[in-house]
Formats: sequence, C-alpha cells, structure tokens
Amino acid sequence: MIEDLAMHLADLVENSLRAGARHVSISLSRCGDSFLIEVSDDGAGIPQPELARVVDPFYTTKRGSKVGLGLPLLVQTAEETGGSWAVEPRPEGGTRVRARLGWDHPDRPPLGDLAGTLVPLIATSPGVEFTVELSDDRGTWRLCTGEIRERIGDIPLTHPEVLCFLEEALREGMDAVGLKEDR
Amino acid sequence: MKLDELRKIRERAEAELRLRGGPSRVKIVVGMGTSGIAAGARQTLRAILDEVARRDLRDVVVTQTGEKGLAAQEPIVEVHEPTRITIYGEVDEAFARRIVTEHVVNGRPLSERVVEVREVRDDQPAH
Repeated sequence: MIEDLAMHLADLVENSLRAGARHVSISLSRCGDSFLIEVSDDGAGIPQPELARVVDPFYTTKRGSKVGLGLPLLVQTAEETGGSWAVEPRPEGGTRVRARLGWDHPDRPPLGDLAGTLVPLIATSPGVEFTVELSDDRGTWRLCTGEIRERIGDIPLTHPEVLCFLEEALREGMDAVGLKEDR
Repeated sequence: MKLDELRKIRERAEAELRLRGGPSRVKIVVGMGTSGIAAGARQTLRAILDEVARRDLRDVVVTQTGEKGLAAQEPIVEVHEPTRITIYGEVDEAFARRIVTEHVVNGRPLSERVVEVREVRDDQPAH
C-alpha cells in the first residue's frame, strides 16, 4: 500500500495541511544506521485525549473516512525496523511526528522519489511555508519556501522553471548529505 | 543551489505574464490523502503539472487537497470551471494527461471515469 518512505512523508505532510498548518517543517536525518523522519506543523493540533488513538487504524478524524491508516503504517514501519516513534503536541501549538527507522534493516522500505514527491506537494499548497532540512553526520542542508517566494514575488511555485529549480535543489541537498539509496 | 537563478526565473516569468495577462480559467485539484497517495496520486499530480507546463497553460492553476471520502475511487481529480466542477476517479498518469489535453485544453470533458458533475450557480463560484 504505502511502498516507500517518500509516500510516508507525503502522508504526514498531508495530515499537517489538513490540520490547517501555515508552516510545515520536514526534517530527514541519517546518522549511522539511524534514519529520523520528523514533520512538525503549526496546525490545529491533536487534543490530548485523542493522541493515544492516532495510531489506531480504525480511528480517524477525516470526514467520510472510516479508517486512518497513514500513521499506523508509519509506526509499524518504525517498529519493524527496530526504531521508535512519537506523536506529540508542540508547546507553541500544532503537532510533531517523529519516526526513527533502522536504515540498514532489511525491512526498511526504499527511500522512493523524495524530490518528485515533496516538490509537487509543496508547490501546490499556496499560503503554506515549508522548511525542509536534510542532515547527516557531516552537516545540514536547508530549503525554505519563504526565501524562495521572496525572490520570485508573485510567480507561483508551480511555474515550470520554479518546479525544476526546486527538484534540482532538493536532489542537490540529498547528494550533499549522502541521502540516497545504497542497496 | 543558486538562489540567484530564481531572480532570472522571476524576470522571465514576469515578462511572460505581462505579455499574456488574464486570470486563471481552470483550477485542477488532486486528492492527496493517504488512500490517494497509496493509489498513485503522486504520479497523477506530477503528470498534471508536467502536462500543464509542457503545454504552457498559464491560465490553469493546479492545487491538491486531502481525503474526499471517495477512497475506493482514488486518485481523484477535480476540474473546476466557472460553471461546473467535474470529478474524475481512478485517475492514473495516462488519464491525468488526457484530462489536461481533452477536457482543459480542448474543452471536451471526458465521459469515462466521471464520479460526479456539479453545476455551479453564479452565487457559488467554482474557484
């Protein structure tokens, strides 16, 4: 169903957008055998009584949907690869979801097309600022849509040349921090 | 990444915009909820963005939305026009390109994979 980590990430970002977030931070960090995915937002947040139920596949807040499989599947992936997870409210409002996976674990899904997944999602979400941070043992690479919008003015992120720029930038960032499939 | 490249892109895009002008004519919305993503909505969204860019359709806006409660028919694509909203289901990459070429460019809505067509009254803007 959800075949790669890029799909998991897209699902987390979609949750943030549905919660009305105006700023979404995405962080991917590979450190040794550990791969950390973190998405935090300033959206409506999850009320404390509901936090414990977000990983129940038969619980969802979506209208018209009977099941909420996104988070339970991510939790399952994290646990199957010897990792851990956390879904918690941010003190300043919104939600933070973290999943730590074992990078070298045979059950880790492939990374998938990260740039090809994230860029269309980012570009087609007007009014939402994204920060993407990629890091490894050596350093951190960062992309802020706010900085990009400052430079392109009223030109939309869906402009073909801007889309190409964003995909190239993200791929450069992945190369810079060694975030690539190596098996 | 050279952020200066963006200034050049902006100059070119603004020059094009001055030449063409006009507000957006059509909005295409792709459902990107969990079931949509699992059913291939990423490829659908990418195909639509690609086709719109390739055909240089500057009066078409592409956005995405979450679940629509139509999980069995994902990926879902809505075409919003001033007088109607057409909702297509099970839109794979090839069908997404047909929606752009036949419905959006040629103005001939497809008869296949239509989930619903909603007429939009004057006091209920489609956009």
